[in-house]
Amino acid sequence: MASSESPEHVWRREAPHVLGALARRYGDWGDCEDAVQEALLAAHDQWPGDGVPEHPRGWLVRVASRRLIDARRSQVARESREESYADHAGEVAEAPAERDDTLDVLLLCCHPVLTPASQVALTLRAVAGLTTAQVAAAFFVPEATMAQRISRAKKTLRDHGVGFGRVDPAELPDRLTAALRVLYLVLTEGHTASAGEDLVDGSLASEALRLTRDLHTRLPYDDEVTGLLALMLLTHARRPGRVDGAGDLVPLAEQDRSRWDAAAIVEGVGLVEQVLPRGRVGRYQLQAAIAAVHAEAATFEETDWVQVVALYRMLAEHFPDPTVTLNLAVAVAAAMGPEAGLAELAPLLDDPVLSGRHRVHAVRAHLLEESGALADARASYSTAARLATNVREQRYLNHRLAALDGQEAHG
Amino acid sequence: MKYVVLIHSNPQPWGHPTGDFVAEHQALPAEQRRQLNDAFETLLGELEANGELVGGQALGDPATARLYRWDDGAVVTDGPYSEAKEHLAGFFLIDVEDPARAEQVGRAFAGPGETVEVRPVMVHED
Repeated sequence: MASSESPEHVWRREAPHVLGALARRYGDWGDCEDAVQEALLAAHDQWPGDGVPEHPRGWLVRVASRRLIDARRSQVARESREESYADHAGEVAEAPAERDDTLDVLLLCCHPVLTPASQVALTLRAVAGLTTAQVAAAFFVPEATMAQRISRAKKTLRDHGVGFGRVDPAELPDRLTAALRVLYLVLTEGHTASAGEDLVDGSLASEALRLTRDLHTRLPYDDEVTGLLALMLLTHARRPGRVDGAGDLVPLAEQDRSRWDAAAIVEGVGLVEQVLPRGRVGRYQLQAAIAAVHAEAATFEETDWVQVVALYRMLAEHFPDPTVTLNLAVAVAAAMGPEAGLAELAPLLDDPVLSGRHRVHAVRAHLLEESGALADARASYSTAARLATNVREQRYLNHRLAALDGQEAHG
Repeated sequence: MKYVVLIHSNPQPWGHPTGDFVAEHQALPAEQRRQLNDAFETLLGELEANGELVGGQALGDPATARLYRWDDGAVVTDGPYSEAKEHLAGFFLIDVEDPARAEQVGRAFAGPGETVEVRPVMVHED
């Protein structure tokens, strides 16, 4: 163990291993997960003052086992089995790690019977070792609400007879796809959301990066895992430029690129260059490749838009998605002019779901403004601002609207 | 996605659950009233069990409100905000997977003589 590690880093890294050890021994994954959570809280109370134990995993397993046994003693229905549990507590703590459980825990948390929101919440608690309070803070809900969400998710798994264990190799690709989507959600949901004061690195996006890096060390030859890690690094690298001193969003074109994290860019670009030539292309590799093109341009004007368009076309072809179409329209406009971008965008305006969201209108407004159709741009900005549910984005859109009105007044 | 569910009603006398004191609701056959109440209670229980219910409160009689208006300084008056047919009687804050689920909540919470407003909550993160 590196001495530079904070106590919290240690217990969070150990959390899935402790859970695996308990679940293999005692079964009933859901109860074990609660016991591990209590052990993490105990570490939270004791380690910062007393120091990290010499064998942190053994310490956590012992505490969690005791909590589990106490919980089971109070369940009268299981009284007859309590003795055998008590006998095993010491044994589990001393047993060497049979294998690495992190991946199995992650795949269990991302089981298809759960909703994406439940998968994310469970992953953050069971895999990332966050406390319920930290997960709740990250999503701006009360702790009781988050606790309810997590226990409901575990009940759903139990009701479907899903237990802890090795995933059937036949199911692995689909389950891994779901796990990558969960990590991607943690990244996008947690772009600036703070997971509470006491989180080591303050943001869910950093947590997503940590978990993905961890997954990459376990599955170094999975190109999509590598692609997602590259995407996370490149997204992370650009975070410092996204918001100005007043907390307002800064569009990519106006960002101060000197504030980007050069080391993260080098690492991200390196990973993209490693996997793309292998030809097993997936959505995260393509998104990472696009992020790499942006990251490598010294200025916005130097962006290789033709390459960005080509990559978005591949994404749109293999993984059709409205967000991809939107971004493709932006790239096409940058490469070939705003009218070409507007033509790409047109079909999305007829989509009943998308036309009720702000982004299509925001992109359209930008392109109309660029093409000089200021009255139409104004109408689109106004629609977009009305539909936005994000304070920052709404403020930005209203700001563009005011700027247009100023132009008209002076023009 | 977070939504606030606003219950606009005018129970006479002011009371909760509001349906018990709204004439249009009281006029329904007993069986139908029971069904409406059950649908509401069932969904509310479900929201809580799923971790979709963030919070909520029933509000006091609008007659007990104090209004603070500005006229070169705060000017205080007693009584309801407006002579509206319906007043804000209570609210729930929910956090749901998608707009379709929010719509489900709005429909289940609706009752005769009352209006349920479902509106997205603004977020600060990107």
